[in-house]
Amino acid sequence: MSEYSCLIVEDSPMMRQLLVFALARVKNLRVTEADDGVDGLRKLASARYDIIVTDINMPIMDGLKLVKRVRSDPTHKDTPIIIITTEGSLEDRQRALQLGANAYITKPIQAPQVIATVKELLKIE
Amino acid sequence: MGERSEDKRHAPQPAGADSRGVGSAHKPSTPPPDLRRERDEILQSFTRGARLTEQFAAEHERLRERLLLLEAENAQLRTQLEADDAVRRLLEKIEGLEVEKRELLSRTERAEKETSQFSARFSEVETEFANLANLFVASNQLHASLSPRGVVRRIKEVLAQLVGAESYAMYLCNADGSELVPIASEGVAGEQLTAVRVDGSKVGEVVRNGTAYVDEERDSSRFDMDDPPAVIPLMVDESLVGAIAIFATLGQKSRFSTMDFELFKLLGQHAAAALVSACLFSKAERKLPGLEAFLDLSV
Repeated sequence: MSEYSCLIVEDSPMMRQLLVFALARVKNLRVTEADDGVDGLRKLASARYDIIVTDINMPIMDGLKLVKRVRSDPTHKDTPIIIITTEGSLEDRQRALQLGANAYITKPIQAPQVIATVKELLKIE
Repeated sequence: MGERSEDKRHAPQPAGADSRGVGSAHKPSTPPPDLRRERDEILQSFTRGARLTEQFAAEHERLRERLLLLEAENAQLRTQLEADDAVRRLLEKIEGLEVEKRELLSRTERAEKETSQFSARFSEVETEFANLANLFVASNQLHASLSPRGVVRRIKEVLAQLVGAESYAMYLCNADGSELVPIASEGVAGEQLTAVRVDGSKVGEVVRNGTAYVDEERDSSRFDMDDPPAVIPLMVDESLVGAIAIFATLGQKSRFSTMDFELFKLLGQHAAAALVSACLFSKAERKLPGLEAFLDLSV
């Protein structure tokens, strides 16, 4: 059975913990955590991931910049990205999607929604 | 029958008759009347025999044809009977299959119902698991810091990330319990955030009663400081020490959920306690109490 890897980029330890709990429900998914965009890029430079889940509002490098950088990197340009943010406006959603994000989840997050989105993008039954 | 005709053909000639016709060539003679009669009788008999033979032959032919016809008919009937048997067997088979089909459909229906129930139950369990995870994370985070600032930051995170609060404030009672002083807030302009009287304010009313106020009917994303959609009393060791007022939730969240009520309970019982513990620890210059502090617990 295939094993998948997920990179969570989130500055809030609480949100990271929540996402880790939620994604633990997805079989054969290995989760790696990053504190912010810069840490996320560092981790992306040393390993390949099947999916990236990132917050938008983060210090040092926000989620939108991270999406832009990931999409310009040939190694990760096709990696699915899920944006998680408190912003619920259509404008933010469109901006994230235009930059190359594949899905958009607004806070407060619902674990079943996160699980369903990850499974859909990884094409897991 | 043929033998008899043969016999008749070789019947003894009448006396005086020349069998080679020599006598008739020389002297035509008329047979005597009794011989003529006998000859006629023989001829008649022969003719009758021939006719009878023809009749027998015809009858034989007819019977043979009839037999062939009957055999053909019999074969046809046998085929038909076999076909009828086959049809009967097929009908029985169809009936059996129909019963089987009905049973399978019934089983499929039962299985679908069970699957549906299982899916619903699975979904409930997943939601329950997610809720428990939320509560665990919130509780874990509230007690993860021993600095007052860290605790306040975590309370704010629980409100923002888990409840989805956009504007809120945390109040603590002053020494005489007459006023509620804001100690932390988000999404509220500085000039709006002032101390409120315990008497005569929605937040104060909740602190007096000790019962959380949550308006489930209205749109909680509409900002209202005077009549917040949710106010949660904060307790320390069964004493009311303050409250958290949520003035507005995020735009995409217009109603509080069951999970929010659980989080409100958790915050009410743990937020102030975590804050007080952090303050005491801070006042003790972050020194852990010595072993002697625990020896008198008499547990």
